[in-house]
Amino acid sequence: MPASSESITLEGDLHARPAGALAVAAGRFAATVSVTAGARTVDAKSVLGVMGLGATSGQRVTVTADGPDAEEAVATLIAILGDATRVGG
Amino acid sequence: MAGLVGIVLVSHSARLAEGAADLAAQVAGGTVTVLAAGGTDDGGLGTSAAKIADALRRADSGGGVLVLPDLGSAVLTVRVLLEDLDDASVALVDAPFVEGAVAATVTAAAGADLKAVAAAAREAWHARKL
Repeated sequence: MPASSESITLEGDLHARPAGALAVAAGRFAATVSVTAGARTVDAKSVLGVMGLGATSGQRVTVTADGPDAEEAVATLIAILGDATRVGG
Repeated sequence: MAGLVGIVLVSHSARLAEGAADLAAQVAGGTVTVLAAGGTDDGGLGTSAAKIADALRRADSGGGVLVLPDLGSAVLTVRVLLEDLDDASVALVDAPFVEGAVAATVTAAAGADLKAVAAAAREAWHARKL
């Protein structure tokens, strides 16, 4: 199965609403998707896991996906991380 | 395709249920119906079978409804009601109230079925905040 991975530096803290947007989007993909911040990796489809990362502005975050739609999943989630953490909330 | 799973939050406090419903709905982006059924019919602390029954009806858009109680004694009211309804499209789940509501609503927003939404709520037992 194709695997895909990409990183982004957050421009804001990963608060509740961006975490929610990320998990909702991740849940729509068939691929398994994970988010890594620092030493922690969580299931991107678990909003509580994503919130529990405590990812903050300036931190490097990596999205990794494995499955048929892995590439699209990574691109979508990286875009959400780029947009949503600028807005905050 | 069936509609998204709806969520009903049953609390002894109307304000607690409303606040949790508001939070869960907003974190999930506002696409899921999250209804509060809190307090007694006269506005006091307690549970109301009438309020819960009304919320169950309004929350179902074809995908079923997940019910989360805040405390054990709310379970009694819900159970009696569900026995009367005898409806397989309604699931009562044992989960932390706030975390379970948020996890379930986000999972419902992604289009998951009732079983997966209930599982997401139960997984909230293992989510650490610190």
